Formats: sequence, structure tokens, C-alpha cells
Amino acid sequence: MSEAIIFLWPAFLLSISLVGIHAYFGIQVLARKVIFVDLALAQIAALGATVAFMLGYPAQSPATYAYSLAFTLLASVLLAFTRAWATRVPQEALIGVIYVVAAAVSILLIDRAPQGAEHLKQILTGNILFAGIGELCAIVPLYAAVGLLHFLFRRQLTGFRSLGWEFLFFATFGVVVTSSVAVAGVLLVFSFLIVPAAIGVLFARSLAIQLAIGWAVGILTSAVGLAASFAFDLPTGAAMVCAFGGALALSGVLYAFLQPSRHVASQITITVACWGVAAILAGSALLLAAAPRLDQPLLDGAEYMFPSLRTIYFTPAEQAALADASEHAERFRAEAERLNDLETRRRSEGQALDDFTVARISSLLRSYGEMRNGEQFVMAELRRRARQRVRWAVSLALLALALLVAPAPWRRMWARASDTRRPA
Amino acid sequence: MRNSSHTKSISLCFAIIACAYSVLASSALAQGRVQVVTTTTDLRSLVEAVGGDRVEAISLVPAAMDAEEYQPKPQDLLRMKNARLLVRVGLDYDLWLDRLLARADDPDLRRGGAGYVDASFGIPVLEVRGMSVGPGDGHAHGNGNPHYWLDPKNAEIITSTILEALARRDPTNVATYEANRLAFLARLETKLSEWETKLAPLKAMPLVAYHNSWPYFARRFRLDFVGFLETKPGVPPSPSHLAGILQTMRARAVRIVVREPYQPERDIAFVAGKAGASVVTLAASVGALPQTDDFISLFERDVEALRTAASAQ
Repeated sequence: MSEAIIFLWPAFLLSISLVGIHAYFGIQVLARKVIFVDLALAQIAALGATVAFMLGYPAQSPATYAYSLAFTLLASVLLAFTRAWATRVPQEALIGVIYVVAAAVSILLIDRAPQGAEHLKQILTGNILFAGIGELCAIVPLYAAVGLLHFLFRRQLTGFRSLGWEFLFFATFGVVVTSSVAVAGVLLVFSFLIVPAAIGVLFARSLAIQLAIGWAVGILTSAVGLAASFAFDLPTGAAMVCAFGGALALSGVLYAFLQPSRHVASQITITVACWGVAAILAGSALLLAAAPRLDQPLLDGAEYMFPSLRTIYFTPAEQAALADASEHAERFRAEAERLNDLETRRRSEGQALDDFTVARISSLLRSYGEMRNGEQFVMAELRRRARQRVRWAVSLALLALALLVAPAPWRRMWARASDTRRPA
Repeated sequence: MRNSSHTKSISLCFAIIACAYSVLASSALAQGRVQVVTTTTDLRSLVEAVGGDRVEAISLVPAAMDAEEYQPKPQDLLRMKNARLLVRVGLDYDLWLDRLLARADDPDLRRGGAGYVDASFGIPVLEVRGMSVGPGDGHAHGNGNPHYWLDPKNAEIITSTILEALARRDPTNVATYEANRLAFLARLETKLSEWETKLAPLKAMPLVAYHNSWPYFARRFRLDFVGFLETKPGVPPSPSHLAGILQTMRARAVRIVVREPYQPERDIAFVAGKAGASVVTLAASVGALPQTDDFISLFERDVEALRTAASAQ
């Protein structure tokens, strides 16, 4: 267990430095309305590395890095110009085109050199879990230098000044994104870039406070994502991206409740939630009534959480059959596992199994698999029949529940209805 | 300088290949060689071993490309147009072929046709996880581990399946095919005992691999793969899985991590470095690395690489 923390520790330090630079760039990117520029620049850098690879340079050589950098700088020139052109067509459209064309050209190039595919993948899908102190030592000075540059020229670099400054902005951003994507992957870098910045912009007006909020939220969320990946045994990058998504959603709700019109906001939230629940209940009722043999997500979920619910609508015989089938299925699974284990062990230990025995094991495994499928079919069929039997009662109950939950003005409608019935 | 000479040599290569291709194509037509399409280079090599100069075999997946991730190209349809025989790996390894087959003109090449060969027929399959059997059920390796050609002994079964199909499609040359196959198997038999001697020192050395491609190889050469970095294809490992692997590697003193050419170099080197192990790149397919031009040289090279890594410890 403590071993896993040893992995997460450099990943956390790396996250702090990534949040540090990307929250700042994120605020700039949001202000310029070029949200996907990081994807385009990363793809361009990957294209540069692919070209270097095609020319025979090994991966991670200075020449490959130089090609990446040259391509990124070229793209920065293009991006600096598109800012000026983007009057009729939004700049995002041009960025999107740069992204897809760079991706397509890489695919075409790689088609000529199969081993390049892995190379390209490595540039775009870094895994933060595999980052060590070496990566940290390479990245921190670079980010610090870029950060210092932006601090010294903050007046020229924030807001649109001239082509030269615009180019410098995209070039430094490109350098940062290229190295961070190689370490953390495209998805995670996009989250680092946009989410802390968006939350900062949501709650503050001055750049300093926006940055402070972004950094705090970014570091906290990274810690939560890493902890979740550790606690629930999840792939780290994906867990962190989801944590960032959750942070943005929470901030959105918080923002609504911090507004002067928070009563309206809470009312709207409650109404939406009630209608949502009512719609799910009514939909499930209709589905059960119309097609009781189909999957019933609501009932399945409820039964999964409270298996004792089955006792309400299963007959004792059905309950016994279900328990029996599930016990058998488990036994077949365990037996198959045992055989697989045996075969694996005997590859290197003891007397080797001959082909005939291995073939027998594999056909036994197939039979166990089929038998287990059979038991699972029995279980599903039992459930379907039981549901078919109680379809009308349960559907009506669900519908009644839906009507109760739905925040329609029942009292007023009822009063109006009784008014019209009463003779004047 | 470097680039221009490079470009020149590439264009020269292309010219030579184009010439060779046209010569081969015309001679194949002239002599009426049997056109065979295989999904992987390994099967192509085995078809060539049986067919000799009576067949013209091409593989749809180029060498050194991950055959499980292959995207068919328009030219693949053209390649299948003239084929008399189609040989696939099966066991859900080359599922992309089914879509291609649905668009092929020749009904003989479709599942169950006279020209359709599933090379996994008769193989003692390892690691069946008992998912429902049948086409369309794309569970990763649920039908058993598909890397069965990595047991050189399985070549006996595969080549006999190929021989049967060739006999069906080209009955006049059966005697030649039979003789070819027996000669190939005899050569393989001598090589096999050589390889077994070479790998004998590795029996006591547990190994770790990135992807679970090696159970058949391990069974034949009695190797012990104690873990895999990738739990499911395409899903990066979680911190606890990685920690577990590292713990196993330290506890069992694993000194060698096996990687295939298209697997992420950095991630594997990171784990190997943490555990003080070295990375060995093995070819899991013919042509994936230099000097793996056919079925026998594939094992020749892999065995040599493993032996060198083991003796360096």
C-alpha cells in the first residue's frame, strides 16, 4: 500500500507545477477565447516529432525535440496571424482545422512507418503515474523561465498588443504544452489548463485573485484525484480528469448560490431535480408496463443495492431457484479459475502438462463458461418472469410515486377541477 | 547530405520493390501460383513454409504493426479479390477481418467457405475465460489467449490446417505441399531442441511482461511470467496495480521485463528501473524487429535476446 504512495508523490509534485503554469495560461486562453489551442499545439509538436522519426532520428534525441519545437513555432506564427484574421470566422474554427489536419498528416506519415505509431502515442498520451523526479527536474526550470518571462512582460502579453507579442505568447505556450502533454497526456493537460482558470474567472475579477483561486482549486483537486485513484484502484490520469470535472460542477452550483438571486437558484434546482426524478419514475413505469422482459435499469439498480427487495415479489420457489443458480454459477467460476491457475503454474513448475491435457482443460473451461452462462440465463429469466407477473401493480405504484414527486401545482389543479364540477 | 542520401536510398528501395513486385506478380500469374492472403506475417511465413514456390502469400497487417489494432485499408479489398485462400488467427485476435469479409466478392472466403481458414483450429487454447462463444462477442481474450503461434510446436497444428486447405484449393500439388511441410517441421524440430537448451537457464528466472502475449511461449520453454503491467488492453494501470507488480518483482527477484516494439518505452523503463530489472524487447510477430524475417528466425532472435539478457545478470 505504502508503495503506491511512493508513485503518487512525484505525480503530486508534478501536478503542482503543472497547475502553476497552466492556471495562468488558462486564464489567458479563456480571455482570448482559444480554448482548444493546447490540443492543436500538442498535435503540431507530435507531428514535428513524427517527421524527425521518419528522417531517422531516435526518439527523445535533441534533434527530435528541435523538430517538435520548430513545428510548434511555425504553428505559433500561424496562430498569431489568425487572431488578426478572425473577424468573420472565429479563431476557434481555424484552431480546430490546424488540429485535425496535423492529426491527419501524422496518421498518413505513420502509415509509412509502422513503429512510429507507438512513438506518436507516447507524445500525446503521457501517463503522470510514470513520471519521476527526472521529469520534474526538466520541467520546473522551463516553467519557471516561461513564468518569469510572462511576469516581466505582463503588460504586453496580456491582451492583444501586436503580432510580435502574440507570437511570443503562442510560442511560449506551445513550449509549455509540448512538454506537459508528454508527461501527463492530452486529457489531463486540458483539465489543468481550463478548469482551475474557469473557476478563478468565475469568482474573481483581478488576475491575481483569479490565479490564487485557480492554484488553490487546482492543487486541491489534483490531490483529491490522486487519492481517489489510490483508494479505488483507478487509472490515475482518468481519475484526475473526472475530479476536475467534479470540481467545476461543484463550483458552478456554489456560484449560483452565492448570487443575490440565490432563492430563485435554489427553487430552480429543486424543480429541475423533482422533474428529473419524476421523469425517471414515470419512464420506468411505462417501460415495465409495456415491455416487462426488457432490462429495467431502475429496478435492477434497486435490487443491486437492496437484494432483499426480491423477497417482496419473488415466490419462495423462485427465490430458492435463484439462490441455487447463483451458487452454481459461482462454483463454475471458481472451478474455472482453479483450472486456469493450475495450467499457469504447471507451465514452469513440476511436470509439464501435455497437449492432450491442455486441450482437455481448455474444453472444460469452455464448458464451465457455457454452464455459467446458462445459470446466469436462468437467473435473468426468473427475474423477468417475476417482473412480468407484477408488472401492473409495480407500474401503477411507480406512476403514483412519479405524480407525487412531480412539482406540478396539484392543489390548484384540484381546486379548479372541483370548481368546474360544482354547479354554479 | 544525410537527408538527400536517405531519400535517394528510399526511392531506390521503392523502385526495386516495385520491379520485384511486378516480376513476382507476372510470374505468379504465369505459373498459376495459388494466391493466399493472411492477416498476420506469422501466418504468411507458415503458409510459405507449406506452399513453397507454389503459393504467393501476402499479409494484410504489415510487419511490426499491432494486429489487434489494425485498420483495414481500401487496398486490402483489392488484395482479397484474387485470393484463393484466406488464413486468419481467429480467437477474436483479428476481429476487424469480419467487416472486410462481409464486403469480399468471393463467397468461398467467408466463414465456412472452402477458402476460409481459421488457423486456431485444433490448437490447445490457453486461458479461456469462458465468455460466450461465437462471432460478434468482442471480449478481450475471453475465447482464450490468441497468441498461440508463439509456441513453435503449435506450427505443427497450424501447418496441418493450412495443408488441408491448400489440398482443397489446389489438389494437384498436394504431394509437394506435404513434402514441404515435413521438411519445415524437421527443421523446426532441430531448432526447437536447440532453443530449449538455450533457454534452460531461464527456468529459475521469473519474468514480467507489458502485455499478456506470452503464455504459449512460456509453456513451451517453461518460463514463469509472474505479472503484466497492462491489466486490460488500452487501460493504463492504477497505482495499486503498479505497486503490486513492483512488490512481486522485488519479492521474486525479477530481473527481466519483456516489451514488444510498439509498447511504451518510457513507462516500461520506469518500472524496470524501480525494480532494478532490465528491459528486453522481443518480437511477437515475424518482421516486428530486424532479423525476424520468417517463423524460425523470429524464435531464433527472441531466444538469443532472452539468453543474452539472462546471462548478463
